[in-house]
Amino acid sequence: MLDIQNLTKVYDGGTVALKNVSFTVEDGEFLVVIGLSGSGKSTLLRCINRLIEPTEGRIIWDGVDVTQLSGEELRKVRRRIGMIFQQFNLVKRSSVLTNVLSGRLGYVNPWRSAVGRFPKKDVDKALGCLERVGILNQAQKRADELSGGQQQRVGIARALMQDPRLILADEPVASLDPATSHSILRYVEQLNKEDGVTVLCSLHFLSLARAYATRMIALKDGEVVFQGLPTDIDDDRFKEIYGEDAIQVEIR
Amino acid sequence: MSDQEGKDMKGRPRGLLSSWRFVGVLLVAIIVYSYGWRVTEIDLQTLVTGAPDIVHIVTQIIQPDLLSRDRAYQSAYAGFLLPCGDPSPAQATRSESEPYLVLSQTCGSPGEPLSVEGFNFRPNTRGTLRWTPPVGTQRSLQHFDSDENGHFVLGISVPEVAESEELQQVEAELRWSVGLPYPSETARVVFEKMIETVFLALMATSFAIFIAVPLSFLGARNLTGGHRGTVIIYFAVRGFFNIVRSIEPLIWAIIFAVWVSIGPFAGVLALGMHSIAALGKLYSEQVESIDPGPIEAIRATGANALQTIVYAVVPQIVPPYLAFTIYRWDINVRMSTVIGMVGGGGVGFLLIQWVNLLRYKQAGVAVWAITVVVWVMDYVSGAVREKIV
Repeated sequence: MLDIQNLTKVYDGGTVALKNVSFTVEDGEFLVVIGLSGSGKSTLLRCINRLIEPTEGRIIWDGVDVTQLSGEELRKVRRRIGMIFQQFNLVKRSSVLTNVLSGRLGYVNPWRSAVGRFPKKDVDKALGCLERVGILNQAQKRADELSGGQQQRVGIARALMQDPRLILADEPVASLDPATSHSILRYVEQLNKEDGVTVLCSLHFLSLARAYATRMIALKDGEVVFQGLPTDIDDDRFKEIYGEDAIQVEIR
Repeated sequence: MSDQEGKDMKGRPRGLLSSWRFVGVLLVAIIVYSYGWRVTEIDLQTLVTGAPDIVHIVTQIIQPDLLSRDRAYQSAYAGFLLPCGDPSPAQATRSESEPYLVLSQTCGSPGEPLSVEGFNFRPNTRGTLRWTPPVGTQRSLQHFDSDENGHFVLGISVPEVAESEELQQVEAELRWSVGLPYPSETARVVFEKMIETVFLALMATSFAIFIAVPLSFLGARNLTGGHRGTVIIYFAVRGFFNIVRSIEPLIWAIIFAVWVSIGPFAGVLALGMHSIAALGKLYSEQVESIDPGPIEAIRATGANALQTIVYAVVPQIVPPYLAFTIYRWDINVRMSTVIGMVGGGGVGFLLIQWVNLLRYKQAGVAVWAITVVVWVMDYVSGAVREKIV
């Protein structure tokens, strides 16, 4: 269980990205975070694995306060939290296989990995992950030779290498076309349903959120303005979250 | 809209304001440039009046002492008495195969016309006619060419030399090249020094890489983060780069020539020092401009700092680092050709020496060698950079 308590983030410039955010994520949930650009979704996700240092509040994951960890302990927590990014964040000049293997860095001997050597079983595992996302034949290509959708699948394979118990997906389909978006989210859903990985995913489009979420929260100006089931969001709620002028755009 | 044009915001006619500003700028420009003209002592006339001096140098430089061939020569003598006395010297004995000279008269006084005829010389060959008095210095009278039969006739006048009872000697000497051309001594020395120059640049660049690469990570803002200690390191490293880089390699060469004595090692240190700073700055700026996405992705997997650098930073910086490094080597080859002038070893030392000795044909070899090597380096580095970036 992931328990976020009174999380606040104030950036150096004084921008308040998160205000006193509290919610819990049960194991096995597919929790979608919606909200406008700048509402604090990315900051929230990055606080959970401490890519961004929260200013105040606690993040309790399986009884451990993540905000109090440092060094080796923090890395041990991070390695069980996979992360998928809007811009895929692959190392473009490295091969697909190397990108996937890098998901294993938290587990392997740092000195051996620093010279590019991974245990045989990790290489096999990486190939298995690539097979699972359907791009095994692309393993030796350079990452930037792949299409956007394929690159995001590499991103998923990289997260899979971590044997994650939680996946943080930061707008994973915002750079992709609608059809590809669905195929990517289906892979994430598969991890959630088949492997029992808890998913915390931010999305722009309500229609996508409704299709995949088991539960939703909405952020507006760094505050939680809605928690509940996807079906609970009606037109009034929608306008509350996205502002009076917003109209719903459907992605099917 | 139309009545707004030609006026500024307060409604005054804009033409006047901008024309006053224009006149002001023009005045300042005139003052600045006329002062500049005076302090830099620009004198375009000397470009014309000084031209003849440089023509001599340039013609020698464009005919460098690059190749030499072995020389063979052939000569014959005839005696001449000045003034006439008794007995007058005999004509040379005629021979079927050996070259000999026949004079129209074997004695006389200065200024009299004299015809010198040569037989059995090497055909179609350039030669020199010389006059050697018994006392005093030899004089070259004229150059000539033998005809296809090895024969020539030269009309001269008896030179104004001191009278003597001893024989004056008239000598015709033919010289020609034999065998295949081979690199001259100059060319060999220049080649040796050119090798030294290229390696000087290589060593300097390599040393600089080893020091600049680790420093560049410390001098990159995005890697040094927000801790106070690391920020101090960042400013220290950047400060070091900027100070060292502002000192020209020639100045470093003077310092190191005193420190480790004149020679290529001083040159290596001088160029290396400058390259550390120049490369370090370029490298750090490259690190700062990398895509931060992969870094956060790798950190998110639980990787430590070293793994993050190896997996997220290094793949992004290798191609630009290579490009910068090759470009630096290219610059260093160029710099190492002049660094010898202040005692840093390499071909520059030869060049400055020959220029000071006014031996422009030799200097020409060095100049051409530098041109060729720099051109080749430029081409190669350009081609390689195009490939990897």
